[in-house]
Amino acid sequence: MIDTLDRIPPENIYLVNPARRKRLPFFDALVPAGFPSPAENYIREKLSLDELCVVHPDCTYFVKAVGESMTPDYIYPGSILVVDSVKLVFSGSVVVAWVNGECCVKRFVRKGHMIMLESSNEKYPPIYVHLGKDQFRVLGVVTFIVSKPPKYVRLSGWE
Amino acid sequence: MYALVDGNNFYCSAHRSFDPTLEGKPIIVLSNRDGNVIARSNEAKALGIKMAQPFFETKELREQHDIVVFSSAYELYGDTSARLMSVLTQFAPDVEVYSIDEAFLWIEEYVGLYPTYQDLGAAIREKVDQWLRLPVCVGFGPTKTLAKLANRLAKKTPELNGVCVLDTPEAIEEALWGFPVEDLWGVGSRLASKLKKEGIRTAYQLREVNNEWIRQAMTVNGLRLVHELRGLPCKLLAVSPPAKKTICAAPSFGKLIPDLAIITDALTTHLSRSCEKLRKQDSLCGAITVFLHTDRFRRTPGNGLPAKQYAGSITLVLPHPTNSTTELLKYAESGLKAIFRFGYNYLKVGIMLSDLVPGDYRQKGVFVEGPNEKLIALSSVVDKVNRRYGQDKLRLASQQYNPDWPMKQKYLSKRPTTRWEDILEAK
Repeated sequence: MIDTLDRIPPENIYLVNPARRKRLPFFDALVPAGFPSPAENYIREKLSLDELCVVHPDCTYFVKAVGESMTPDYIYPGSILVVDSVKLVFSGSVVVAWVNGECCVKRFVRKGHMIMLESSNEKYPPIYVHLGKDQFRVLGVVTFIVSKPPKYVRLSGWE
Repeated sequence: MYALVDGNNFYCSAHRSFDPTLEGKPIIVLSNRDGNVIARSNEAKALGIKMAQPFFETKELREQHDIVVFSSAYELYGDTSARLMSVLTQFAPDVEVYSIDEAFLWIEEYVGLYPTYQDLGAAIREKVDQWLRLPVCVGFGPTKTLAKLANRLAKKTPELNGVCVLDTPEAIEEALWGFPVEDLWGVGSRLASKLKKEGIRTAYQLREVNNEWIRQAMTVNGLRLVHELRGLPCKLLAVSPPAKKTICAAPSFGKLIPDLAIITDALTTHLSRSCEKLRKQDSLCGAITVFLHTDRFRRTPGNGLPAKQYAGSITLVLPHPTNSTTELLKYAESGLKAIFRFGYNYLKVGIMLSDLVPGDYRQKGVFVEGPNEKLIALSSVVDKVNRRYGQDKLRLASQQYNPDWPMKQKYLSKRPTTRWEDILEAK
């Protein structure tokens, strides 16, 4: 009988918004009823580069490299540097720093009371920073370098 | 123990954090339409530039000194603020974001990591400086009001090195002794002059007044304030404030506007912006308020007498909740027409969306139709297009982009943390 049915009050009826669809992982495996899916333990978040490259999201900056002073360190013009300001700076770290207002990416080397900022490209002379005399401020340590692969064709012998 | 961490000249410092050459230079930041000065570095304060001073008045000073000017870059400030707040959660699990540059921390359990509150304060300052290149001051107190007071002392007293701890009755008493009542948190200018008439000039004097008198003169809020000064916490940490119940947009024009067409244009812009926010949090609004007012401080040029004033507002309850800009504009425009009076120079038109309900809420009245689903769908498409191609690329025709409105920002600055095209470049 229709009277015995519980009526659904109108406020309990919701409009489904198809624009807010979420993707769910699909497992192409049979699931025996009453038995938990063996795949359940293997459901993982999707991989993300952020997770890999950005350890401290609040203290990480993206910086674009210009110039060729660091090409032997795989930093090319247009490379995006992932710069972490939490990581401590040691001799040998590649850092992004401001020297007298100019922003540069260089290898940090401590030399007594001075700091040497070394370019890995030999054509570029090192910069010596006199602490207290020069304006010097480190943004952070370069933790990853994002570049596109270079485009060229290697000439082979039989050509 | 509560701590209040507050950024020093936050907007100026945010610009400095990506350009160390600005260190030591006077900086000013201008309001939305380059009308007024809304932030000053210490150097700019020392030159005598006042808060909210009209920008054109600073011309002479700018010719004499090398003052760096920025139009406000809220994207940069917002992101810098989010980073700061997130960093602060490393020092205390409970952080109440009080404003864009201030946060209360509840730090009872964490003080063990640092031998003293002084050390904790110094550590916060050091880390925020290293990680975000921002100067902050830290005030500690047994109540939020006292933490706020301590913070102010830390800012005003260079010898404190940015940290002020009020942890003993003696320290509190000494701090309250010379602290002017008008600088207390929650004491406005009207209340301050009322208190001064009674001879109450310092926080110490206020603390000693009996409860009955305070309740009568300052209501229960005043009583709370006094209890807090005595070290009894009345204002607790609000860690997760409830979702927004109203959305409001009312930036001023930057100059006085007498013309209904331009005001309608501005109203459409505010409304589009507010509707975008509404749709972003997936809500519908059930009521809309339009308000309009003249510049209350304006004096008539020539005779210097106060200019004639007008302020009007109207609230319209909608037949059904909606978030469609097109639909809401119909009501907003008729509201504006109803309150607009000819013959005044207006400073500001504003819009407030209230009675917000969740986006899937649909309740049709008996004699009215529900919201136009097509318009709601259209709005979300418009949002998507604008997100991809830039704000206002698709807009309503009544938002004509009058050259007078919105006025172009002249001193644009970079947003190195939120735009790829603005990121820092390193040689």
